[in-house]
Amino acid sequence: SESDPNLISSESYLVLLVVKRVRQRKQDGTLYLMAERIAWGPEGKDRFTVSHLYADIRCQKISPDGKAKIQLQLVLHTGESTTFHFANESTALKDRDATKELLQQLLPKFKKKANKELEEKNRMLQEDPVLFQLYKDLVVSQVISAEEFWANRLSLSSVEHSISNNNKQEVGISAAFLADIRPQTDGCNGLRYNLTTDIIESIFRTYPTVKQKYSENVPHNMTEKEFWTRFFQSHYFHRDRISTGLQDIFSECAKQDEKGLKSMVTQGVKNPMVDLLSLEDKTLDEGYGTATVPTTSNSSNKSLRENSNSAIIKRFNHHSAMVLAAGLLCVIFRDAPSDQASETSSTDGNSRDSDFFQPPLKKVKLQEAIEYDDLQGDSGRKTISLNLKKSDRYSHGPTPLQSQHYTTSQDIITSISIIQHEMRSYKPRLTQVMSSSAASSAIIALSPGGVLMQGGAQQTINQLVPTDVQSELKHLYMAAGELLRHFWSCFPVSTPFLEEKVVKMKSNLEKFQVTKLRPFQEKIQRQYLSTNLTGHLEEMLQAAYNKFQAWQTRRMMRKT
Amino acid sequence: MFADDEINILVIVLDVNPIWWGQQAQREPQFTLSTCLDSLMVLANAHLVMSRTNKLAVIANLYQKSHFLYPSKQWKSGDEISTSSDGKYELLSVTNDLFAEEIRNLMDRTEVSGSHTDSLLAVSIAKALCCILNLWFMQIAGQDVKSRILVIKAAEDSTLQYMNFMNVIFAAQKKNILIDACVLDADSGLLQQACDITGGLYLKIPQKIALAQYLLWVFLPDAEQRSQLLLPPPVHVDYRAACFCHRNLIEIGYVCSVCLSIFCNFSPICTTCETAFKMPLPQMAKTKKKKVKTAN
Repeated sequence: SESDPNLISSESYLVLLVVKRVRQRKQDGTLYLMAERIAWGPEGKDRFTVSHLYADIRCQKISPDGKAKIQLQLVLHTGESTTFHFANESTALKDRDATKELLQQLLPKFKKKANKELEEKNRMLQEDPVLFQLYKDLVVSQVISAEEFWANRLSLSSVEHSISNNNKQEVGISAAFLADIRPQTDGCNGLRYNLTTDIIESIFRTYPTVKQKYSENVPHNMTEKEFWTRFFQSHYFHRDRISTGLQDIFSECAKQDEKGLKSMVTQGVKNPMVDLLSLEDKTLDEGYGTATVPTTSNSSNKSLRENSNSAIIKRFNHHSAMVLAAGLLCVIFRDAPSDQASETSSTDGNSRDSDFFQPPLKKVKLQEAIEYDDLQGDSGRKTISLNLKKSDRYSHGPTPLQSQHYTTSQDIITSISIIQHEMRSYKPRLTQVMSSSAASSAIIALSPGGVLMQGGAQQTINQLVPTDVQSELKHLYMAAGELLRHFWSCFPVSTPFLEEKVVKMKSNLEKFQVTKLRPFQEKIQRQYLSTNLTGHLEEMLQAAYNKFQAWQTRRMMRKT
Repeated sequence: MFADDEINILVIVLDVNPIWWGQQAQREPQFTLSTCLDSLMVLANAHLVMSRTNKLAVIANLYQKSHFLYPSKQWKSGDEISTSSDGKYELLSVTNDLFAEEIRNLMDRTEVSGSHTDSLLAVSIAKALCCILNLWFMQIAGQDVKSRILVIKAAEDSTLQYMNFMNVIFAAQKKNILIDACVLDADSGLLQQACDITGGLYLKIPQKIALAQYLLWVFLPDAEQRSQLLLPPPVHVDYRAACFCHRNLIEIGYVCSVCLSIFCNFSPICTTCETAFKMPLPQMAKTKKKKVKTAN
């Protein structure tokens, strides 16, 4: 039902934008942007001839400014493209831009979903060769459809994904985001700045004042483009922040930044172990390091160069502090307030107040430094010692306690004397150790088939059957196992969906038997392998068929 | 040649329980201790001849003591070696002579005693392990030492040696020393386990008079060569534990969670560590059954 654009479900009825006088393929018509799709219908007709799901659209393109024809092109994942020509003389440009912006907002939402699923599937197939083999055996040879194959598997991983999405990590801010803008010369004494949404987001997160200005001015007073042009032109952005009067909307931002910086300095660093004030340029002697400069903050003594240097350094510090603060702000909002990491949050002059932990912090830090948890003594748990009454029981092995042959003392004496007598005159006679008949009977017993070689036959099955046959058998077992699992999971059949599925799985099993099992059996027969390798597989399939039969007859009886 | 880089150590442990052998002499006069010794000598000679670097040791297990028959302490190098009349390789003739003399002396010294007449093979096997280790330390760097112990078992297993025997087996396994067993009379569960754990061969021979043939066929090749030969398949080893109360071999039993002693029947108090256990309540079983029924 998704492929037919004219079947509109209740969701699709939600039309977000309608644009009249849009031509497609030299035909006049109307363009509709809905919740999940974009569609176009010719003038006067009720039906849509063009309809694309946002998920299918890879990207959109617009014709450059200045061209006579105002067009918008949609490029699909499959490679095809559809071009819409906005033909209303007065509002064409506005229409096109409105469409473009709406699409800009909608497309990313759908894009992620489709790609993610495909990516996930590909990843799973690549990571698990067993799964890949199963996929090849079952789906590629069309025993079951791809949907059924992925039905159980994707549900597991999508659950994991939804959990992880809730705890998605915030993307941090690169400290160099301003430098990354990289202006390019326009050719005629102008500069071209490329702004992406990421950079804009970084600017807003780091400099909340700029965000504030943006929300105040755009789109009432000026367009986005104008705002950013002004931003880059203003000296706020540039190195030397010499304020050029109150016309610049960003001069206020500069003032606020100064204030923020001052408050940061007064707050200082909360970590009692760090003493920032001791970090100064010190010289050892003449020629080693800089000459001592009086560190008075009397600005009139400083040279111009020193002033601008300190201004830059101030700006760097402020920028870094803002970047760090913006990153930490989300951490504070998420985690519980009793977070010792919040000591660093006060570096941002504009953040909320969070110095709860003044006095105990030092103590805790000192304790952390001198104590190790695992070196602590035992918490003194009371233990009960093992009390064994009859420990000699352990030393008795599995040999039963029955007494051995009872030998009388007379027997003992007799035996020993016999042996001693024998050994006294013992001389090795190595040429007459055994008779040839004894030797040959021993050899017979040790030859294959002999008395002593009986147990060996069982081991040779895996030596008789060639390895490729063995691996094919393994694949068959895996594929059959998968199908049987789907089949047996339908019982007890309680819903019509399960009924359908059970019938389908039975036919799948039969298909499997015909397309995969029979050829294999024929192959091994041709190789004269007498061992019955597929007997068990057939038993399993037969058990499934019997169950299906029984279920079907019961269903028939219930219906009659 | 590669053969020079490899040392093959064979230690033969012979059970010379005189009571058993004396009775055996009365039962079957064709196969007596002398014949057995002769067969062993054949094997020993063959092993020494296989390679120049092969090493041999023979230990006799008399009741609970072990004696080295070869190499013997009696032999001091430099002594006059009686050259044998049949032109045999001198090493072999010396070996055989020493072997024979030692066993004669040993049996001479045997005293009649009614107690402690069990053969404790664990003693000799432990001695064998030490001997192998000794030879090991003498190897030159780069030499591969392969060792195995061949146990010729005559009399029955003794219950006294279980723990020691198992320790010895695991020690051998750790050091990759094979334990082979050639059993003349009654099957021995301990030796079966030893062979299974260390990777050796266990064989109970049907005809004692053909002992030499079995020894040469099955026990002369070393572990590497055995993989190329068709030899008797490994026996099925009974690894069942024996319950502590009756010493019956059981497959399913009760184990005390405190002292790990095994019982065949449930008893509320463990007799080894005196821990009290609660009786399983019969009512629980009933509710379980009810639940199962409703699910179906």
